[in-house]
Amino acid sequence: MISIKNLSKKFKNETAIDYKDITFESGKSYVLLGASGCGKSTLLNMIAGILSPEKGEITIDGQNMCALSQKEKDLFRIKKIGYIFQDFKLITDMTVMDNINILKLEGVDTSRADDILASLDILDKKNKKVKNLSGGERQRVAIARAIVKSPEIILADEPTGNLNFTIGEAVIRQLTNIAKGKTLIAVTHDDRLCKYFDHVIDMNDMTGGRYDV
Amino acid sequence: MFKFALKNMGVKKVQIILIVISIIISASVGVLAFNVSNQVSEGITTNASYYSVIVGPAGSKTQLAMNTMYFTDDPLGTIPYSVVNELERDSRVQENGVIPYAMADSYNGSKIVGTTSAFLNGKTVAQGTLFTDGEICQAVIGSRVAKNNNLKIGDTFKTEHVGMGAHDSNMEIEVVGILEESFSAFDSIIFTQLQTLWAVHEHGEDGDGAPNDDINHGHVTEESGSHENDNHENESHEGEDEHEHSSLEGMVCAILVKTKTPNGAMELVTEYTKTVNYDGHVYSLQAIEPMEQVREVLNDADNTKYIVYVLCGVILIMNIIVISIITLLNMYHSSKEISLMRLIGISMKKINLLYIIQNSIIGLFSTLVAFGVSRICLLFMGDYVASMGAVLNLGRVYPLEIIILVGIFLISVIPTVICTFVMAKRDSLAE
Repeated sequence: MISIKNLSKKFKNETAIDYKDITFESGKSYVLLGASGCGKSTLLNMIAGILSPEKGEITIDGQNMCALSQKEKDLFRIKKIGYIFQDFKLITDMTVMDNINILKLEGVDTSRADDILASLDILDKKNKKVKNLSGGERQRVAIARAIVKSPEIILADEPTGNLNFTIGEAVIRQLTNIAKGKTLIAVTHDDRLCKYFDHVIDMNDMTGGRYDV
Repeated sequence: MFKFALKNMGVKKVQIILIVISIIISASVGVLAFNVSNQVSEGITTNASYYSVIVGPAGSKTQLAMNTMYFTDDPLGTIPYSVVNELERDSRVQENGVIPYAMADSYNGSKIVGTTSAFLNGKTVAQGTLFTDGEICQAVIGSRVAKNNNLKIGDTFKTEHVGMGAHDSNMEIEVVGILEESFSAFDSIIFTQLQTLWAVHEHGEDGDGAPNDDINHGHVTEESGSHENDNHENESHEGEDEHEHSSLEGMVCAILVKTKTPNGAMELVTEYTKTVNYDGHVYSLQAIEPMEQVREVLNDADNTKYIVYVLCGVILIMNIIVISIITLLNMYHSSKEISLMRLIGISMKKINLLYIIQNSIIGLFSTLVAFGVSRICLLFMGDYVASMGAVLNLGRVYPLEIIILVGIFLISVIPTVICTFVMAKRDSLAE
């Protein structure tokens, strides 16, 4: 369970974003909807330990993330969180497998990679360089890298942002499918994809309210 | 980690090739310059202190010393053997301390020295024995001569006369000994009895009538020396059809002398700068102290060595700058990759380690290749350096060479360590 209390984040020369208290239950999928700049991605980054809030608390399974050092946050992220970035964050000159095996640097077991790539229909691309893949294939590689370590939490920042709707919908379908039983928090601005998630959170009014689909 | 480092290097081939080339150039030039200058100096000084005085024809002192001790260049000319007898009777000279020396002819490019077995004292005969004084047509050959010409004990060869009317001698010389490799000029020389050289020349003359009377008439080879023995040179021997003196009354190019005391050496140097009459001709002599000449040569060589060191230093500094810039640019271009790794959870410690491993691989590979390149260059320089009186030993590694290689290895790694340290301090995720 992820719980957020009195959270506030301020960037240089910008007004602070104050978040209402939100709770994400374990094993459920959430989609954060909202306009650009309302703090969706910032919230994901704070949950992942990439950004630190000015004030407030992020508690994951009883562990206050804000109290951890950067090193501890890194360790937490590599072990428990699978993060799918909007711009994929792949090393394009390397192969699909190399991009997944990079996690071995931190001792992550990547032996499930082939199964995951197969479930995402890109097993035949495993030895291809990422730069030679299409946008949809790159997004699938990013998903594969995020879930290969069997994380308890999957964070997806605009996973369909660079894809057309048809491909984006297919990717979301595969993502929600593969993330069953895990906590999935995805950010999107496309409300047509909300139906694939258990819960939708509207970030625009910063209510933190929860709406069943 | 190691496997991933190799893969990551494969992604940046161009930058890595540039770094590798820079390191190889700087390391091999540094190591090569140091090694060659030291081996040449060592080769020159090995035998310098062995003799107190060298008596020879008047002319260039350096040429006399270098030709007699290191077999370089050509002899200055000849002087009568009677001077040997005179020196042997001198009370200031050690017993058996007078060694005649003549250089004439060659075999497949290897110079032939006529002398006594005492000239090879201190040298180890690896196979066979020394030649026997009093006999003729026996040779002790240097290890390099044996190797290059595939000569073994018992083999015979004929000398090639390179004087006027060049021809091969009809007399066969038998190999009776092969010297142990000493990485000195001795490795490239054929040593035989002085009488053998005289006999070869007399035989050649008798055999075909060619006017190869060089050694007996003051010309060891066609290009022989500067002919500074002008008094002798100017006196024509034309019309002399026959030599009346016996073989022991022939000529020598120089006489090596060991005196009982340093004082005796100084006195001989003064006394033997004179002229002698022999067979109706006047010969100008000079006597030198070989150590003094070698010291002068080495002083000149040292000046050259310092210039080489300065040039190497400049090349090293330029390469350090190039290596550092390329490494920094490489790291700068890697910053996107580093932030990516940070985002997916790879710790800064692991990232630093990854880049240090990468650059260590590059540094280690490059310095090892540079060492190999320097040895290959030594191989190619061997013949040139041999002509200067020293033989380069490819296996000779000086401690400073290792220090140079380690230093360049560190130079290739340190910029990465600094960069990763700075990046770790500026870790965006930690801010």
